[in-house]
Amino acid sequence: MWKYIAKRILLALLTAFIILSLTFILIKLLPVQRFLGTTEQRTAYYENEVRLGYLYSSDAEIDGIDYADKITYDDGSVKYYYKTPVMQQYFNWLGNIVTKWDWGKSVEIKPNVDVTVIIGERIGTSMKLNIISVIFSVPIGIALGIWAALKKNSLTDHIISTIVMVFIALPGFVLITFLMLMLCYRNAILPSQWPNPTDPTSRKVLGYILPVFCLSFSSICGYCRFVRAELCEVMESEYLLLARTKGLTRGQAIVRHALKNAMVPIFPSIIAEFLSIMGGSMILEGLYGIPGIGDLFIKSMSASAPDYSVLFVDMAIFTTFGLLAGVLLDMSYGFIDPRIRMGAR
Amino acid sequence: MNKQQFEQFNSIPKEKFAFATQSEKLHDKKLDTKPTTFARDSFKRFCKNKASVAASIILGIIILLAIFVPVFSSYGIDRVSAAERFLEPKLFEAGTGFWDGTKKYTNMVYDIDNEVPAGMYKPAVMNLVVDSEPVLSNQASTYGRGGYVIFENQTSNGSTINMLTSDTFAVTASGNYSVTLDFGDTDNVGESKLGEYRIYLSGGDEPVVLRDWSRNYSDATFNISNALTTANLDVIANARLVFELKSEVNVNSYILIKSCVFTANEGVSNLERLTTVGFTDATQMVLIAKDEMGNFPDGYWSCTGRKGVYASAVYYCSFTYDTYAAVYDQTEVVYAKSDLERFEAEGLCEYDPAIGPESFVRLSDKCPIDSIVSQKLNSRTGQLIEVTALSYRYRQMGYSKMPKFIFGTDSSGIDLFTRMFQGLRTSLVLGVCTFAFCFMFGLVWGAISGYFGGAVDLAMERFTDILGGVPWIVVMTLCILHLGNNFFTFFLALCLTGWMGTAGRTRTQFYRFKGMEHVLAARTLGASDWRLIFKHILPNSLGTIITSAVLMIPSVIFSEATLAYLNLGLQGVASFGVLLSNNQQYLQSHSYLIIIPSVVMALLMISFNLFGNGLRDAVNPTLKGSEG
Repeated sequence: MWKYIAKRILLALLTAFIILSLTFILIKLLPVQRFLGTTEQRTAYYENEVRLGYLYSSDAEIDGIDYADKITYDDGSVKYYYKTPVMQQYFNWLGNIVTKWDWGKSVEIKPNVDVTVIIGERIGTSMKLNIISVIFSVPIGIALGIWAALKKNSLTDHIISTIVMVFIALPGFVLITFLMLMLCYRNAILPSQWPNPTDPTSRKVLGYILPVFCLSFSSICGYCRFVRAELCEVMESEYLLLARTKGLTRGQAIVRHALKNAMVPIFPSIIAEFLSIMGGSMILEGLYGIPGIGDLFIKSMSASAPDYSVLFVDMAIFTTFGLLAGVLLDMSYGFIDPRIRMGAR
Repeated sequence: MNKQQFEQFNSIPKEKFAFATQSEKLHDKKLDTKPTTFARDSFKRFCKNKASVAASIILGIIILLAIFVPVFSSYGIDRVSAAERFLEPKLFEAGTGFWDGTKKYTNMVYDIDNEVPAGMYKPAVMNLVVDSEPVLSNQASTYGRGGYVIFENQTSNGSTINMLTSDTFAVTASGNYSVTLDFGDTDNVGESKLGEYRIYLSGGDEPVVLRDWSRNYSDATFNISNALTTANLDVIANARLVFELKSEVNVNSYILIKSCVFTANEGVSNLERLTTVGFTDATQMVLIAKDEMGNFPDGYWSCTGRKGVYASAVYYCSFTYDTYAAVYDQTEVVYAKSDLERFEAEGLCEYDPAIGPESFVRLSDKCPIDSIVSQKLNSRTGQLIEVTALSYRYRQMGYSKMPKFIFGTDSSGIDLFTRMFQGLRTSLVLGVCTFAFCFMFGLVWGAISGYFGGAVDLAMERFTDILGGVPWIVVMTLCILHLGNNFFTFFLALCLTGWMGTAGRTRTQFYRFKGMEHVLAARTLGASDWRLIFKHILPNSLGTIITSAVLMIPSVIFSEATLAYLNLGLQGVASFGVLLSNNQQYLQSHSYLIIIPSVVMALLMISFNLFGNGLRDAVNPTLKGSEG
C-alpha cells in the first residue's frame, strides 16, 4: 500500500513538473514585460532578471536582435537588455527553484517585490475564508442530506431536493450578484466590499458573512445531494433489513449501520473539496474585492497591466492544489474503506 | 365457496372432462405487444419524468428565441441611441404598476418652482408625494428655499470681516429710505457663537452707522434717511450696506440673517433696483454667482469671511417615473415650410395656411405631425414661414408607434431583449461548436484507448492525466495571452480541456463492452476492428456518452459568462457574458440590466441540467425495460 501511495505522489509530482515546465515555457515565449518606474527601480529589476538568467545585458546595441528594454542613464550611457533563449531560461529557472527557491519578482502588482512574498500575503485570506466555509458547509450539508434521505419521497425531501437542484445549476456569479444587490446595496446590511484592515472588528466580521455564505452554499448543496444519494442506497440494502429484523430500532439501525457506511465515500470528497477550493473562488474574490490569490490571478492577467511572474506562481499553486486533491481523494478511499485495496490488480 | 357447492364440484363425473386444446396444434405465436426500439423506449422513459419534460420545453423556447429573436426583432442591436438609454422593462401600459416601464424614486429633491422633482420631465411623473416637512440643510442648493445667510469670521484674533452689497445704490435723506432686517429665530442657534457686529452704510466720508457694536439680534427696521439727516448728509451716491463682524477668541463667530429688504418712498428713481439689492430668500442669494463677463450681478453680497447658507429648506418627494413618457412624449416642434410641403407631397397630411391650424388633416400614420398649434406667416407677403406642431418624439426617432422594450434598454439604448438573445446565440454557437469538436475527438480518442488497451491505453492515459491536471483557467489564460481574446481562442481553449471527459467515458464504455459475448461472437466470425468498434460496441455505448457530453454546452456558456464577468471575456463579440460584464456596473442603479440576464442564464442552466439528468436516466441501458 505504501508503495502505491509513494507511486501516486511521485506521479502527481511528475505531472505537476511537466505542467509547470510547459506553462513556464509558454509564458516566457511571450514578449518580455517592460518594467515601468524610476531608473533605479528598473535597473534593480532588470539586474535581478539578469542574475536569474532570464535576460542578459549589453552596453551596445546588438545588430539583428530586438532588445527587450533599454535604460538610458543620466550621464547618457545606455544599457540594453536582451532575452535569453527560452530553453536556456527554462534551465536557469529550474536551477533557481531547486537551489534558491527564487520565483522572481513582481512587475506590476507590487513592483520589485518577491512573488512568493506577495502570494504569502494573500494566501492566508483565501485559506481562512475556505476553512470557515468548510466548517459551515460540511455539517449543514450532511444534516440536510440525512434529513432528505430519511424523509425520502415526502414533501420535505422534495423541497430540499428542488432547492439543491436549483442552486447547483445556478451560476455562482448570479448568486453572488443577487446577494450583493439585496444585502449590500438595497438594504446595506453588509459591507459591499471586503473590509479594509483598518476597519473596526464588527465590520470585519460582517465582511465575512457574504463570502462565507456564497462559498459554502454550493458546497452545502453538493454534500446534501451526495449524502442523500448514498444514504438512500444504503437504506435499501439487505444488511439494514437484517439489522431491523434482529431487533434494532430504526434509529439504532440508521446511526450504527446506515450512516457509518454512507459516510465512507463522503469523507474523501470533503478532503478533496477542501484542498481544491484552497485556491479560492476567483469570481467571489474578484467581485467582492477579497485580497486572496483568486483575486490576484485576475489582477495579474488584466489586459491593461498584466504581471506574468505573479500569474505563473498563481497558476502553479492552482495546478498543485488540484493534483494533490486528486491524490488525496484516491488515497483516503483506501484508508477509510477497508474493502478498497489500493494498488490491487 | 360453501359446502354444498364443494360437494357439487366434487361429484362431477369423469366423462364430462375434456382436453382444452386437443384439436389445435401449438405454434409460436406472434407477440401481441408492439415492438419497440431503444430510442422509442428511451423517449417513453424520458416522458415519464415530468421535470425533465418541462425543462426541455423551456430549453427549446430559449433556444428558439436565441435563433429567431435577432433575426426578427424590430429593434436592431447596432442602433445606439443615447436618448433611449435605461428605459425600464415594459410589458403592460404605464400605470398598471407592474412591468410597465416605470421606475420608483424615493427621497428625490423636489423643485418647488416648477412643481416637479428636480431634473425630471413633468408629464412623466406619476403618484407624486412631496414630504410635508422640508429637510433643513446647510448646503446651498438650487432647490433649497429660505434659511439664513451665515456670515462667519474664521479668524480668532479679534480682527473684523465685512459682508457688503457688491452693488452700490443711491440713498437720499428725503426719500425715506429704510432697510428691514430679519434675524429670524436665533434661539436654536448657539447664542455664544453669534458674534459682536455693527451695521453701517459706506460710501460717504464717514460710515453712517445704523446699529453700533452689539450682540443685539432683534429684528429691526432702520430708517436710512433719518440716519443721513443725523449725519448731516443729503445724499450718498454710491452707498453700500455693510455688516462688520468681530472675531472672538477661540470661537468662530458668525451672523445669521434671514432677510434684508430695502424700502423707500413711492416715486424714488431706484426703488425697483433696491429690491434686487436686498434679499428675502437667503439660499437664492448665496447661490448668485458671477455672470459670463466675470461681474457680480445685482443682489450679490461679497464677504471677506465665509459666506454660506444655514438651515435651507429642501423638500424631498417620492414618485413613479414613466421612463417611456420622458423620452417619447408629445412635444412642440417647429417645422419649416419646406418640411411641411414635403409631408404634403408624400401624401401624409393636408394643410391650408389660409385657414390656419384647424385645417390640418392627418392622412397617414407615418406623418410625424399630430396637430398644428400655430403658424407663422410672413407679415408682408402673407406666406407661410413655419408651423409649430405637436409631435410624438418617437415619430421623430423613426418609430411608427410607441416602442415597448419588454426587457428595457441598456446603457447604449439597445433593446435588452434583442441584445440578450443575440448574445445567447453567440454563446450557444460557441457551446455547440465546442461540443461537436470535443465529442468527436473524445470519442475517437476514447475508442482507440479503450478498444486496444495495453501500452496504447497506458500512454494515452498518461497524456490525458497531464493535460487534465492543468486547470482550465490556466489553459484559457495561456491561450488568451498568446492568441488574444477572440472567438477562436475561446473555442481552442475550451476544446483543449473539454474532450477529456468524453474520452474517459468512451474508454470506460469500451472496456465494458469489448469483452461481451456478442463482440466475441462477431470477432470469431472474422469482423474487423473497424466493424467491431462501429457496429458492435459504439451503438451500445453511444447513448450514455452523448448524454453526458451534451452537458458540455451549458458548461461552455457558463465558463464564457464567468470569464466575461471577470472582464477576461471575449472582445468584439456580443456574447452573453460580455453583455453581463458590460451591465455589471449598473447593478445598483438599473438592476434589471443584471437581474433579467441572470434569471435567463439561471433558467438555461437549470433546464439544461434537468434535461441532461432526464436524458441520462432515459438512455441508461441498465434501466431498459425496468419500468414497463
